Amino acid sequence: MRKFNIKDLILDGITYLFSSVSLILLVIIFIFIFQKGFSSLNLELFTSPYWSENYYASIPASNNTYLLKSTLDSNEYYSEKFGIALKDDFNARNEAIVVISYVHPDSPFNELTNSTSGANEGQIITAQEGMIVNKISYINSNGVTRSAGPVIKQMAEDTINTIEKSDQLDSVFLQTQGGGIFGSLIATIMLILISLLISLPIGIMTAIYLNEYAKYNRFTPWIRSSIELLTGVPSIVFGLMGVLVLFPITSVFGASGTSILLGGLTLSIILLPVIIRTTEESLKVVPDSFREASHSLGANHSQTIFKIIIPAALPGILTATILSIGRIIGESAALIYTMGTYISDKPELLKGATSLAVQIWSIMNGDQPNFGLASAISIIILVMVLVMNIGVKVLTRSKVKKW
Amino acid sequence: MKDINNDSRKPNVFKTYQDLFFKSLFFVSALISSLMIIIIIIFIAQKGISPFLSSYEYGQQNIISFLTGMVWRQDQAIYGVAFIIINTLISGFASLLIAFPISVLTALFVVKIAPKPIGYFIESAIEILASIPSVVYGVFAVGFIVPLIQTLANIFKVQTAGGSSLLAVILLLSIMILPTITSISITAIKAVDIDLEKASYALGASKTQTNFKIVLNSAKSGIFAGAILGLGRAFGEATAVSMVAGNKMFGPTFNLFDITRTMTSTMLAGLKETTGLDYDIRFSVGLVLMGVILISNLLINFVKNNIGKNHA
Repeated sequence: MRKFNIKDLILDGITYLFSSVSLILLVIIFIFIFQKGFSSLNLELFTSPYWSENYYASIPASNNTYLLKSTLDSNEYYSEKFGIALKDDFNARNEAIVVISYVHPDSPFNELTNSTSGANEGQIITAQEGMIVNKISYINSNGVTRSAGPVIKQMAEDTINTIEKSDQLDSVFLQTQGGGIFGSLIATIMLILISLLISLPIGIMTAIYLNEYAKYNRFTPWIRSSIELLTGVPSIVFGLMGVLVLFPITSVFGASGTSILLGGLTLSIILLPVIIRTTEESLKVVPDSFREASHSLGANHSQTIFKIIIPAALPGILTATILSIGRIIGESAALIYTMGTYISDKPELLKGATSLAVQIWSIMNGDQPNFGLASAISIIILVMVLVMNIGVKVLTRSKVKKW
Repeated sequence: MKDINNDSRKPNVFKTYQDLFFKSLFFVSALISSLMIIIIIIFIAQKGISPFLSSYEYGQQNIISFLTGMVWRQDQAIYGVAFIIINTLISGFASLLIAFPISVLTALFVVKIAPKPIGYFIESAIEILASIPSVVYGVFAVGFIVPLIQTLANIFKVQTAGGSSLLAVILLLSIMILPTITSISITAIKAVDIDLEKASYALGASKTQTNFKIVLNSAKSGIFAGAILGLGRAFGEATAVSMVAGNKMFGPTFNLFDITRTMTSTMLAGLKETTGLDYDIRFSVGLVLMGVILISNLLINFVKNNIGKNHA
């Protein structure tokens, strides 16, 4: 008898041990991602483009002095002659850079003239806090143009000291910081809209057919299992399918290669099984007495479906939508094939772009993997996924109504 | 008044046509949804086979050397997929070996052993794990698992390519398929008939004996369905795996600390700057991948049926 108990004890012990694994994993993953990405996470990330922009601009003459009204940190260096403060910083690749930390409201740096040749030549640029200063050209006492700044290995303090000695600045080479996710954010929203627009109607109509019409049809099991098979297809195979089957459709609209439209179309097929299953489950719980009551009042089948059944199944359809959005946000392999991996700051429907998930892949596979940014985007994705998870839970709870 | 009465007795033609229209519309949707899998198979099969036909525009490839080749070199246009299949099978089944016992016991704990709040808590944790996108797992693998393996390799004094290795792929995949198998096992164990358990208790079995001998055995079919799905996910997982696999050019890889190459990592490697044969051959790999998933599903089904016979 005792022997059995020891055996039981061991088995129970193993069960307790193994059950804690998933919990521990979840905690490790969250702590790790948050720890690595949190420092790179800020509001500017959402609004700034990924690629940095270069500005070569000329500085207007000024003879004023710009007295500092507020106090600056000890690592910021201020030029009273030109009303600008610089500080040392590190970029995402951990290279030392000099950034603008403060611009006086009357400073000549507020009215720079873009001298980069191209469409924007002659435009007025405002130097903004956070921009990277690569070079400031000044005219020295002999009337010769000289350079200051990181281009001659000067950091913030030396740069300010150098330009303070001069009376006239000539031009400045500025760079925006980049490393943002604005483009991918827009592309992800576009993806969500396109794929839901196609997938929701087809999925809901299929679910209605399966639940309302095809109950005793002998083709139904066949239709059902082919849809079920779609669940097991790996996402990268959907990517191949998108390139082969759906690309001709997008090329009708004028797409010449990978595009957001193609990604959206591909996703809409990936989403179908999820939407169909979730919608059908919510249709199943609509009691038959609803249908009978509607029919007995003289409504035909389609009226019953649109006025009684779909409204009753609405929470289920909403659940399907949320699940789909979660899937779209996380999808990567299929999109790498259909949307490409080039991070676009101005995503267009018929051009390639990256979703947030693909941007992570792109960053990690680039020449200089930026782990901080990848983790920061991962945090954003994790938070979205968590919120949706909770949303679905709340919905399914409210859905279990007693009819 | 008389007219109206007559009207209402007639069948309403508009309503009949409306019904017919919507029924056809719903049917067409269902047809499109169910035809997608066939379209996928046909198109990928056609494209995947095309490099081996004489009419292929970049020069016909030898299908035998493709299927039996042990070298994959994009730069020399040598494409052999045999070792890649073996690598994929190794990493897939090894991760199943790790994840399967953990998943099944977790499911058993959640449904039969844990107090309700704790069970609910773990179940929610598994749902969250299941919804974490694969690319996030990839970031985690690169930043956490890979350095861990580098440390391990240093301790055991083995060579490793910075930690990217077969072991990293296996660990990553076991984490990724864990929630899949667990959640399906939970459903299967919940569905076990309570009478069976009562009968077991009546015969004097302890709770643990009942759980392991009766509950798990009755839920076997569902649990194996979970294993099949998990294995399919392990074979088909692309982005995360390609971040830690390292893409070896020959193989197969049996050394846990050596880099490896799976079918999915092959399909993603260097996709950005590729055209012609090197692009098309990825569809052939995709076709082989679908075949491998199908065959391994059948295999697991076979195993499942045999286990059933032993216990009956």
